[in-house]
Amino acid sequence: MDTHATGDPGGGGALGPHNTVTVVDPSPVNWLAITWNTMEEANRVDHEGIGQPSLAESWRWLDGETLELTMREAIYQDGERFDAGMFKLGFDKVQEWTNPHPPGAFLNFARDVTCEAVDDRTIRMRFPGGDSAALMKLRGMHLPSTRFWNEWGFIDPKTGSAEGHW
Amino acid sequence: MIDAPGPWGTGPFVLTEGVSLIDSRSDRVVMEPNPTYWNPARRPSVRIVYDNVIGKAEGIKSVAAGDGRVDVVFDLTPDEAKAFPASDKGKIQTKKAKTILTGVFNENRPDSPWRDPAVRRALNLAIDRQAVLDQGAHGYGTVIPAFIQPGRYGADPGLKPFPHDPQAAKAVLEKAGLGGRALVFVASPAWTGVVEAIGRNLAEIGLSARFVSDRGDLPEDFDVKLEWYFDWTPQYPVACVHREFFGKDATLRQGPEDPAFDALYDKLLHTAEPEAQEGVVREVERYLQDEAKALFLYSPFTLFAVSDRVAFTPYDTCMSELAETRIKG
Repeated sequence: MDTHATGDPGGGGALGPHNTVTVVDPSPVNWLAITWNTMEEANRVDHEGIGQPSLAESWRWLDGETLELTMREAIYQDGERFDAGMFKLGFDKVQEWTNPHPPGAFLNFARDVTCEAVDDRTIRMRFPGGDSAALMKLRGMHLPSTRFWNEWGFIDPKTGSAEGHW
Repeated sequence: MIDAPGPWGTGPFVLTEGVSLIDSRSDRVVMEPNPTYWNPARRPSVRIVYDNVIGKAEGIKSVAAGDGRVDVVFDLTPDEAKAFPASDKGKIQTKKAKTILTGVFNENRPDSPWRDPAVRRALNLAIDRQAVLDQGAHGYGTVIPAFIQPGRYGADPGLKPFPHDPQAAKAVLEKAGLGGRALVFVASPAWTGVVEAIGRNLAEIGLSARFVSDRGDLPEDFDVKLEWYFDWTPQYPVACVHREFFGKDATLRQGPEDPAFDALYDKLLHTAEPEAQEGVVREVERYLQDEAKALFLYSPFTLFAVSDRVAFTPYDTCMSELAETRIKG
């Protein structure tokens, strides 16, 4: 079996049944796995459980309250370019809600946290009083395309709200 | 949650069909490789189809038979893994993931004996953890001293699991008025064997364990509730796991708030320097054991049935992230 003939995603061809992996996943957090397979965040956790850069290629604390992130160059699946402005858009969207994350409010950024796109690749977040959980919270802040925000925006069609639906 | 398929992300897969929500799923969810993915090391070579119809039992049979309907089944119980037939078409794959199985003491009533750390510690001493793991879960796990596995971020190298000391346990439990009691353990049916193994330990000191399924209403007079939990965070386990059991906003706490735990958590939130942060995580672990905050058991492996045609990379976070999964050959 030549698994790469149609399996090379750079090849552009559709994959056949021989390149399909069929999965049964009874986990109650399968919804989150689908998100993490298709959308990304500033950082991620690898298969050994270690935090890794993702859409942010690096970060550093400038002082006890200011986190600076450098965004990588990436392209959305719909062709849109990812940049620091898209990160800020994601931050502004998540801050619109009181309790957006199903796991709970511990993932919320405080209301006084601010986010500035300094240039196309640089984000500066300010956490008054400090927040050592900032990178954990960023792992839960999904960064979809403009089209997603315009058409869906994590709004539950049944409730019309994104509370507990991120 | 993503409410409709579309090219919404930058991730390794494109969601092309179906949805998966907390309370419902489409029959199929399909993800195709993203040809523009920025990270060549994680660029997928396979389409993923989540089959939400066939069910776990049938999926396991399919993997064992090699009939091509299913390639990977997640979240097998220890009994399901043990019962997997000898097959050259598929196998059981294990992962030492960031999980815990632990007992939450019922401290809801002001007169609960489990509000006394000495009594909680005594029940911990009554348990032979390795025997519980071997007899109750076919050895699929690692005995842990508190909530974090040895060697992981935040584990205290000096912290050892409670010893098995039934005589010391008996004296304290009898003094607390628990002598001869059938202790009520509420648990998922997946952990029936674990409760039975605990019961064998308790029988050595004149007590017993009665299993009550967590599928029904929680009985007011239960003693211990077994909880499985996992850590998905980038090295921040206290917020995800410890807080969920003992924090002010915990969903698994069965008793009053614990200001001492909350103070430690607050200290962690305000500790910026990474090495100092890990020191506080270790402090939290020691606090849990010093106060015998839970009936510490073990860290269960995550268990998968995997077809021989697939090279599957499981995640320590227990999530079905599949970018690294390949067809062999």
